[in-house]
Formats: sequence, C-alpha cells, structure tokens
Amino acid sequence: MIVQRYTENALRIIFGSVIDLEIHEQVRRAFFICRSLDRREILEIVPSFRACVIIYDEERISFPELAALLQERLADLSSVEMPPPRIHEIPVRYGGEYGPDLSFVAGHCHLRPEEVIARHTGELYTVYTVGFTPGFPYLGTLDAAIAAPRLETPRTRIPAGSVGIAQRQTGIYPFESPAGWQIIGRTDASLFDTKHPPYSLMQIGDKVRFYEVP
Amino acid sequence: MDAAVTIRNPGLMTMIVDLGRNGYSDMGVPSSAALDGYACRALAALLDSPDTPVLEVTGPRFALRFDAEVTCAITGARVKAFLDDVPLLPWASFRAGRGSILRVREITEGFRYYIGFAGGLKIDRVMGSYTTNLECRFGGYEGRTLMGGDVMSLAAPGQPDIRILPDHWIPPMASPHRLRVISGPERDYFTSDSLATFWDKDPQELFSTSRHLNRTGIRMKGKPLLFRPEVQKSIISEGILPGTVQIPGDGLPIVMLYERTIGGYARVATVIRADRDRLAHLRPGDMVYFERITIEEAEASWKEKKDRMEAFPLSGK
Repeated sequence: MIVQRYTENALRIIFGSVIDLEIHEQVRRAFFICRSLDRREILEIVPSFRACVIIYDEERISFPELAALLQERLADLSSVEMPPPRIHEIPVRYGGEYGPDLSFVAGHCHLRPEEVIARHTGELYTVYTVGFTPGFPYLGTLDAAIAAPRLETPRTRIPAGSVGIAQRQTGIYPFESPAGWQIIGRTDASLFDTKHPPYSLMQIGDKVRFYEVP
Repeated sequence: MDAAVTIRNPGLMTMIVDLGRNGYSDMGVPSSAALDGYACRALAALLDSPDTPVLEVTGPRFALRFDAEVTCAITGARVKAFLDDVPLLPWASFRAGRGSILRVREITEGFRYYIGFAGGLKIDRVMGSYTTNLECRFGGYEGRTLMGGDVMSLAAPGQPDIRILPDHWIPPMASPHRLRVISGPERDYFTSDSLATFWDKDPQELFSTSRHLNRTGIRMKGKPLLFRPEVQKSIISEGILPGTVQIPGDGLPIVMLYERTIGGYARVATVIRADRDRLAHLRPGDMVYFERITIEEAEASWKEKKDRMEAFPLSGK
C-alpha cells in the first residue's frame, strides 16, 4: 500500500497495478475503514479498481497528518471484520430492441446469440467500482469468449437499465445517458433512486448475477 | 408561493446550480457544481443569501421578467445587462420592480454568468444540493435546463441593501487564459520534450479551446503530447478531481470539470484550485496556456483566493 499526494487537497492510496480480486478486496476494505472513521476532514472517498482517492479538508488536516492516520488504520486490512457482500439478481431482456448490439457481439465472438446470453448469465460478477454516471457498476470479470471492443462512436443517448459489455467488463446504465459499450440487453431493475438513501443499489464489493427474462 | 421570476429567454443555456452535490463520489455522483465558484460566492455575498440556488447562464440574449419586487445581482462574465432600459453595473445588486424585464444583450468578457436573487429561488434539494445533474436529469428545475415560460418563486423574499463589489475584485476572464497546473499521477507516461512544451513557460505552447466543450470537459486543440513508446495509452480507471487534465490516445488534452468522479485516461496534470473558476470562461476558439507550479505554490494561491472569498469588500451604492 502506498499513500501518495495527489493535489492540494487529495491523496491516492494505491494497492496494486492490475485489476484482480485480491487488490479489489484491499480497496474495498480500505474504503469501508475510511468511511467508518467518520472524520469530517474526509470529504470524498473514491474507491476504484486498484486505488482509493481521498479528498480532504486541508484546513482541518494536512497531508502528512492524514497520510499517517491512514497508514496506521489501514496497516492490517486482512484482520478487519467485513459485512458479507450483497448479491443482486438482475433480470435482463436480451437482444432485439433491448440489446441492439447482441448480434454484433455474437458475430464478433463467433457464437450464437443464445451462447452469448448463456455466458453472460453464467458468471457471478463483482462490483469493482461505481462511477461514470451515478450508480453505474463496473462488473468483472466477463468471460473472455464474449469480450467485445467498445463502440467506435459512443451513442449519445441510451435507455436507463441498458446492459453493456466492453472488453472483460459488463455494466448497467442506471440513467438514460451517453454510452460507449456494446448494449446487449436491458433490465427493469432500478439502480439509482435520487430520493431515498442509500440512493445507489450497487456499491463496491457487491456481487451481481444476471438472469434472462422474456 | 407567489411567482417571483419568469424566464423569457434562456440564452444558449441556463440551469440551476449551487456549490455542488458533494460527498457521494463513492457512488459515482459528481459534484455538478457551478463552474465559477468565486462568482457564485460573490453573488451570495452581494445578496446576503448564502447556500441558495442561482442561475448559471451561458451565452447572451438571456431575459427574464420579475413578477414581484426582487433584489437581484449578476456576477461571472462581464455582460451588457439592462433592467428595462437602464444599464446595470457588473457584480452589483439592484432592485427590480414587479413587471420589469432583465435583459442580457452581450457578453464582453468571459462565457458564463450567474444570476442570483435575495432570499434564493425556491427549489427542492436532491441529495443535499440544488444543482442540476443535466446528464442524468435530476436536481435543479425538474432536472433540466430552463426554458421560456418557466416560473419560479423565492424561498425567503427579502430586500437586503444594494451592494457593489469593487471592479478590481472582478477577475480577468478574457483569452488567452493562463491555467496553472500541478503535475498529475501519469506525468511519466509522456516524453520529457512534450511535457516541457505542454507546461513550461519557455517555450510556451498555446492550445485552443475546441467546440467539444460542455460541463463534463473541455477538449483542447494544439500540439499533441507524445506518449513514451513503452506505456499503455489508457489507465485503469481511477478517481479524478475537477481540473484534471486527461490525455487520450490522440495526445490532445481534455480538461475535466464537475461531472465525473473517475476517469480512464492518463492524468498528466491538474489545474490548481485557485485557477479552476477560469475554466467556466473558456469559449470555443479561446487560447489557453498551461504553466506548471509546485504544489506548495498551488496551496498558497488557494489560501489567498479563499481568504479573498471570505472577505468580499462590499459597499453600498
């Protein structure tokens, strides 16, 4: 673990240099610990695949002070008691108007569309990070057999609930928004509710399984 | 509650903003703050109305009608504004009578301006903030930009004294824009020659603001930065801050604003906090140069700016 100065009021805690579950687990643990510190000096915690960015109130705490605090509290991540991850079962309508890119992905991967669906629903995914838009989960790891490139030209608007894939990741667009991933289906599940805490269905470390509905 | 203002013409784009929807980055919720925080704080001071929703207007030809007697002010870009036919002073409050019309005919310097109302517009908070997340359509006024005919009332109508901010407290907003930066986590992805041209004072490389400019980010045109041959041209997505200068595969900078919490391009630099408000005033075609300073210098600049924002020298008119 490395704590590094980032900007006037932000630092990075770096746990590794690749995307894998072990590094992810350290990020997740660090995120929960940082949040449970409940220090008002800490303004934002942004966990991602291999690092946490922390934005702090530089008038209340200096970089060396916060870095020392974090080094101490995050020294022994493995001994921390963690809540078990939540598992979300997400119903998806695949293909057709719901998943306009399913046939491209099938063609790209030399598979039949139903084989793409079988592989997409066959995996228990991990939420590596939430971002891009509010509540958007970056889910890994997608079966290499159905990995497909991002769109060359992103779509300017896709419906809320669209399920996309890009390289070895899959994700769900909580809002009608721009989208650069291959859209293979759509869910009716609500991923983000701006009116009611905790707002986001997904948080880092949650597990997700998709199932097909007609 | 009674109507206070009716939008007649939103100009290029008008939306409700405040100082940001903060504290939710872990769930991907961006700040969506007013792009010019200094102008917003000055507006709040002029109107004695801190923490209230205000209008962020892009482009000229904005017009609204007052449906009640309201104390109002405009900050941000320097504009030629009129209450009926009376020209208004920049960065000063004024009293508008019921039925009078506020018109912004021209922007003379800068790009975005802010219109606030004593007592604050009556807008519901969403996740603690009044500001609009335009991309996902929540917050602000029904999650959208304002249109002609939209009517708003005031939360707590009041008539504070008329105040003005001295002219030398209005920051420069004209092209060329100097943006001071501190180096970013992926600075070593680039050749030392191209870093030097990007952020050294001598020789100074000018970039121009492209048409690809919105609240998410500003794409620059100019001399592309060169990646070192051994590095990947993208990174594993990680947290970013407003003002992050990202370099995508084409080598041309994108300055990120207040609508993303993570990013997947190499972060060569970050625009210092003290200079971020300037980003609100980059218009397509404007010239920009980057200048690297140390983090200690950046801290000192921010301290100075923060002190200024806590002590606006307002005077009666």
